[in-house]
Amino acid sequence: MIRFEQVTKKYGDSVILDNLSFEIKEGEFAVLIGPSGCGKTTTLKSINRLIEPDTGHIYVNGKDISQTDPVQLRRQTGYVIQQIGLFPNMTVAQNIGVVPKRLKYPKEKILDITRSLMDMVGMSYEEYGHKYPSELSGGQQQRIGVLRALAASPPLVLMDEPFGALDPMTRNSLQDEISRLHKKLNKTFVFVTHDMDEALKLADKIIFMENGKIVQMATPEEMLENPASDLIRTFMGKRAEGSPASALTAADFMRPDPVSVYKSRGIRECTEIMARRQIDSLLIKNDDDTYAGVVTVGGIKKASKSTGTIGEVPVSENAVSYVSESAMESFDKLLNTNSSYVVVLHEDDTIAGIVTKTSMAKAMADALWGDGQ
Amino acid sequence: MSFWELYGNKLLVAVGVHFLYVFASVASGFVVALTLGILLSRVPGIAKVALPLISVFQTIPGVVFIGILFLYMGMVPATAIIALAIYAVFPILKNTYAGLLSVDSSLLEAARGCGMSKIQSLFEVELPLAMPSIIGGLRMSTVYTVSWAVLASMIGLGGLGEFIYIGIATNNNALIVAGAIPAGIMAISLSLAIDFVKRRITRQGREVSLK
Repeated sequence: MIRFEQVTKKYGDSVILDNLSFEIKEGEFAVLIGPSGCGKTTTLKSINRLIEPDTGHIYVNGKDISQTDPVQLRRQTGYVIQQIGLFPNMTVAQNIGVVPKRLKYPKEKILDITRSLMDMVGMSYEEYGHKYPSELSGGQQQRIGVLRALAASPPLVLMDEPFGALDPMTRNSLQDEISRLHKKLNKTFVFVTHDMDEALKLADKIIFMENGKIVQMATPEEMLENPASDLIRTFMGKRAEGSPASALTAADFMRPDPVSVYKSRGIRECTEIMARRQIDSLLIKNDDDTYAGVVTVGGIKKASKSTGTIGEVPVSENAVSYVSESAMESFDKLLNTNSSYVVVLHEDDTIAGIVTKTSMAKAMADALWGDGQ
Repeated sequence: MSFWELYGNKLLVAVGVHFLYVFASVASGFVVALTLGILLSRVPGIAKVALPLISVFQTIPGVVFIGILFLYMGMVPATAIIALAIYAVFPILKNTYAGLLSVDSSLLEAARGCGMSKIQSLFEVELPLAMPSIIGGLRMSTVYTVSWAVLASMIGLGGLGEFIYIGIATNNNALIVAGAIPAGIMAISLSLAIDFVKRRITRQGREVSLK
């Protein structure tokens, strides 16, 4: 699908791409990764001729791209950038239709494509199609950015750190979506990142670059098992060395003694506690100290009661872990549910603590920079 | 005889003439400025030299310039229109240039990456995004031109300036006011009209992202 043959690019005296040769197969999800200045973005941008190499040849589908019209080439190649780059003067639907319009698709066809693409990422055309990009959240904007790249159904999509500017939660869900889209659409994706977790999660093949050269090109498993250099090992962090992070349990990261009340407490008293502690939900205990559920401010409002006991307010669903569960599993629960924390229970169902996003951030920091001495 | 009976018709004609001067000169100035601004924005290196030069030219008093042009072209309306148009160019030119250069480079990259040609990128992305700035320049030029057009009467070409000059020469305050007030109203209402147009084309949602 894509073949680099001895491609070199220099800016003045500094060599950005150093005699680069490699191949990406059709349908592959290839991730370019490496430290800043390693040439990963230059490599990506030379595939749609936003950057022209000094020497060497790049072939896309067997054709030398230096012989093609760059404008035509880019219309057949999806492109997503970190800054998202939605045109603020166009609606969401117009942004998605930018390339199909260039290719002179009939209007109804563009509308059909836009609708079905928006359905794929769970943003209905009726609700979002006529909004302007500034009215969307960052995550929604980048979803549209990805759709714009896919709209003309290009066989090849280039993505330059597309999720780099998003918060961790949004990034995670967009990674899942892009992975799903890749499996569904059977296109070749080339993705630049500096985040090894992202690379390991998404890639069929990771291309690790340093100083304009490829250090290692391998599947995520191969790279985890057998990193080719110390730098790659550093990038993988603890994952490469038997990953002790997975041995940690929820108990290691939970905040002990969360605010909890017995079912028999009065509602007014409970709202009073919430106000004083500045929290928006309470853990509810049965009389034998076992966990009964979570009551939120919203739940109390919905029940529209101000007298009676808190036990009469219906409890809401909340993610639950046990102290012995691995930390990673409870983090996954935290990320994959709408709960703002995970309740951690002892083996006898009494409340041990909660795992919040702050605990998670601390765990990630520890994994990255050592155990926080 | 009341003032209105004496000067009413003359005043209406003067307002009409004045407005035509403003309209013709701002319109032609706008076309020139927009073209120049677009061209200069493609070559910022040249623009860095050219814009200060043009702004020096701008400091020549209008009276002097209109007088010189009068010597070459004589007492025809074109003299006033050309002189005013040249003065109308600069604010629009400066704002067009600045507006085009302020378009975020990531949007230019996105436009290129989407397979837009340079012309498409200009007309579909850069100019629409620079439009609030361009129209801001247009408004500034229009307001200035309404007051500069008073100078047209200096070379006997009529307009509201005629009232003001005759008023000064004959020490007739009523005539001065009769020239000044319509000029003021014209400046304010044109400015409001342009603001209205600006709001219409600066669609909802876009302002937010432009800040």
